[in-house]
Amino acid sequence: MNNIERVCKKIFRLAKGVQCEVLAEARESALTRFADNVISQNVASSSLNFSVRLLDGGRSAWTSFNQTDDASLKGALASALEILRRQKKDPALLPLAKPRALPAGRNLFDRETAELGPSFRARKAGELARACRKAGQVGCGTVDNGAAEITIANNLGLFARHRESSVKHSVTVRDRDGFGWAEQHAHDVNEIDFRGLNETARAKAAAGRGPRWIKPGKYTVILEPAAAASLVSGLGLYGFGGRMYTEGRSFAAGKLGKRALSPLLSVEDNAIDGASAGLPFDYEGQPRSKVTLIENGVLRAVVHDRETARKAGTASTGHALPRPSYMGPLPLNLAIKPGQGSLADLIKGTERGILVTQFHYTNILRTQAVEMTGMTRNGTFLVEDGRIVCPIKNMRFTQSLAEAFNNIEAVSALAVLVRERGTISCPAMRLSGFNFSSSTNF
Amino acid sequence: MFKLAAKAMEIADKYRVDFGDIRVVEDRGQYLSVRNGGISGLTDATTLGYGVRVLYKGAWGFASGREMTERAVAQTAMKAVAIAKASRRLMAAPVRLAREPAYTDFWRTPFLKDPFAVPVQAKLDLLFRLDAVLRGNSRIKATAASMRFTREHQWHLTTGGSRIEQVLLSSGAGMTATAVENGESQLRGYPCSHGGQTLAGGWEVIEALDLPAHAERVRDEAAALLRAPACPSGARDLIIYGNQLALQIHESVGHATELDRVLGYEESFAGSSFATTEKLGKFRYGSAIVNLVADATLPGGLATAGYDDDGVKAQRWDIVKGGVLAGYMTNREFCGRIGMRRSRGSCRADGYENIPIIRICNLSLLPGDSSTEELVSGIRDGIIMENNTSWSIDQQRLNFQFGCEIGWLIKNGKRTKMVKNPAYQGITPAFWGSCDAIADHKEWRLWGVASCGKGQPDQTAMMCHGSSPARFRNVKIGAHG
Repeated sequence: MNNIERVCKKIFRLAKGVQCEVLAEARESALTRFADNVISQNVASSSLNFSVRLLDGGRSAWTSFNQTDDASLKGALASALEILRRQKKDPALLPLAKPRALPAGRNLFDRETAELGPSFRARKAGELARACRKAGQVGCGTVDNGAAEITIANNLGLFARHRESSVKHSVTVRDRDGFGWAEQHAHDVNEIDFRGLNETARAKAAAGRGPRWIKPGKYTVILEPAAAASLVSGLGLYGFGGRMYTEGRSFAAGKLGKRALSPLLSVEDNAIDGASAGLPFDYEGQPRSKVTLIENGVLRAVVHDRETARKAGTASTGHALPRPSYMGPLPLNLAIKPGQGSLADLIKGTERGILVTQFHYTNILRTQAVEMTGMTRNGTFLVEDGRIVCPIKNMRFTQSLAEAFNNIEAVSALAVLVRERGTISCPAMRLSGFNFSSSTNF
Repeated sequence: MFKLAAKAMEIADKYRVDFGDIRVVEDRGQYLSVRNGGISGLTDATTLGYGVRVLYKGAWGFASGREMTERAVAQTAMKAVAIAKASRRLMAAPVRLAREPAYTDFWRTPFLKDPFAVPVQAKLDLLFRLDAVLRGNSRIKATAASMRFTREHQWHLTTGGSRIEQVLLSSGAGMTATAVENGESQLRGYPCSHGGQTLAGGWEVIEALDLPAHAERVRDEAAALLRAPACPSGARDLIIYGNQLALQIHESVGHATELDRVLGYEESFAGSSFATTEKLGKFRYGSAIVNLVADATLPGGLATAGYDDDGVKAQRWDIVKGGVLAGYMTNREFCGRIGMRRSRGSCRADGYENIPIIRICNLSLLPGDSSTEELVSGIRDGIIMENNTSWSIDQQRLNFQFGCEIGWLIKNGKRTKMVKNPAYQGITPAFWGSCDAIADHKEWRLWGVASCGKGQPDQTAMMCHGSSPARFRNVKIGAHG
């Protein structure tokens, strides 16, 4: 029995017969950050946090802590029980669910990746810095790695555990007034193409020198996977969460079963075995289901936890988030169905448009229309007659995504894993009539 | 705690580091929320741990841990040294810290009533009472009322001889009502959305908000917004109230004057800044009436403390003076780059797990000499906007767009009808340059930003921005321009 299991059993004993659920999160993480072609920050962190929920006949209390000696556990549980006893009953409060069989999920742990040390990270940072220095460029970014283990247990017999390793290489390059960016996430360091990412960002920065100003307005846009994923994640957040749906505040409210978006768009949430796999159970210990959210433009379903499922008269899809959760259940493992052709083909098929590498600081303006705003960043280019003609200065978009995703002209064949409010497997896309509302001078 | 912390300093001395420090941090946070008539959050969280920072032969290393034994502290310190050695593989000139005297001190946030001593049920009773009022309209489909309290107890030892103990306390509360009808939703909050208002202090902060007095108005305005006309588009004069002006200060001045961003050290994530160092003392950031002051000594400020996490004593300084860029948020590492021999003391870490980085201090717009009525009477065709709902600004802090909860049109010097979905866009120096009147000290208030994100790994910090309503001429109104 390892330490987490032992602590869980002690917590259950101290819960004195009331229903008790434990979420334990153990993390080892390290990050080497570089800027101006030198290491600017180099850190490592180790944490283990326990969050305990007590339930007793319509009353609930949470406590969380990171010290697990007997005195700390006893003190934390005693306080929580005291809060529980003094509380008025809420007849609508759900008790713990009985344990259900949970899917194994994909193996997302690689020991070598979890244990990469500062020398490895410094070496990878150095490879970019040396290439940048030689070319008169400035390299910035991060190399980070680590591992996380999440345990959900309760005193009805649930004990579920999941662990993941992670590594990310993120590169931003400045070449006078040109900027380029590339980033890759993986669970296995051997999947990261460090050299390819460095070269992509450096080439994009060089090509971005001397950007021209163009007038804001409606343009066809070719969104590289990271840019497309920023928008898809907004659609997921404001369209397909059970809480906003049941309150009539989401884009999907009143539209399930109807075609509301382009037939070229199909999106599923799949934490089990797809490209964007992750935790195979949710924070109530329920099995994650694969949920088809959009099928050829038809809105099929939203995701639920037990509470929103009850309100909607359906079953939980296993999408509960840690409580308290401001937005309720959300789809955070999205996979967008790839189409045909490459990014180059999308560019080739464009008469006049804008190629966007990345969006920055996207935020919602109106939820039902999923109207969002944000800036282009790190490589924005004008495309004419099927080829990139020049870099352009950054622009702000203000656009309803309900409208934008109705105007999909093409989706590329290659989907890339992007971390943007969750994990998204996302291809590049071309959309028509995309609204840029203002511009910048850089 | 200092005895345990001293173990890290022993290791730092053994390796003859240029500088080393350890921050032992005990955080307690209590969060209570009632949503749609039920408890949606009732959390009491405590964490205890330490972060060790070493500057070894000019290169940084940092490691953190939670095991409270001398052995574990020593191991964490040695890990920080090993990381610093790796940092030396890719360095330019060695890092040199600006000097700061050694302090032995204890500092605590002043407060009247310990919020953790107020019974949980009393807090819940108030939240349920608010929630019941908020739900008293059939068009209101989602309600939320919440409170949050934090206490950070820190013990800071440095190889420079400082031994500083601080206890920082904050309290906050707020409520929102969301009305839904015909596929549209409108949100109204008090004192503002994004979790409400948080300030340094105790339960008296909550009492001063007088939440019950505002619940009916919040509910009724949310419902009324559904049927209000949409905010018009085009260039108009604008008066900004409430926490929206605080966020305008935060995003377009606060982040823009963080010296690490200015020097390019945040380029890969949050971005850089247009307010580059050659502009210091020369650049016209706003009109001559725009004066913005950073102040770590401000009563009630969330960034108010005796010392920052570099061990620098709290100070007050100009960021924009008479409309001209006058200063930056600094730490001991970077202040020398702009010729300063001492940091302003604006370097803080999130909890025990993170390395201190430059953060926005309390940053306030000094009051002017008008009343709000005078601001309104000076507008022929304009709009008032209050409380933020949406924010976005580019990576150099120039092009911004903000959405607000509510707007009121102004016609011929009079406030007229309510409008929904108000939004405005601008470019930072031009926008602040268009500020031609600021309400006086009688309407000046402090607004808390309780969750400002920055850095990699992500860190959250708290700070305040003081302001009174201000008027801006010829602003681009409406989301689509």
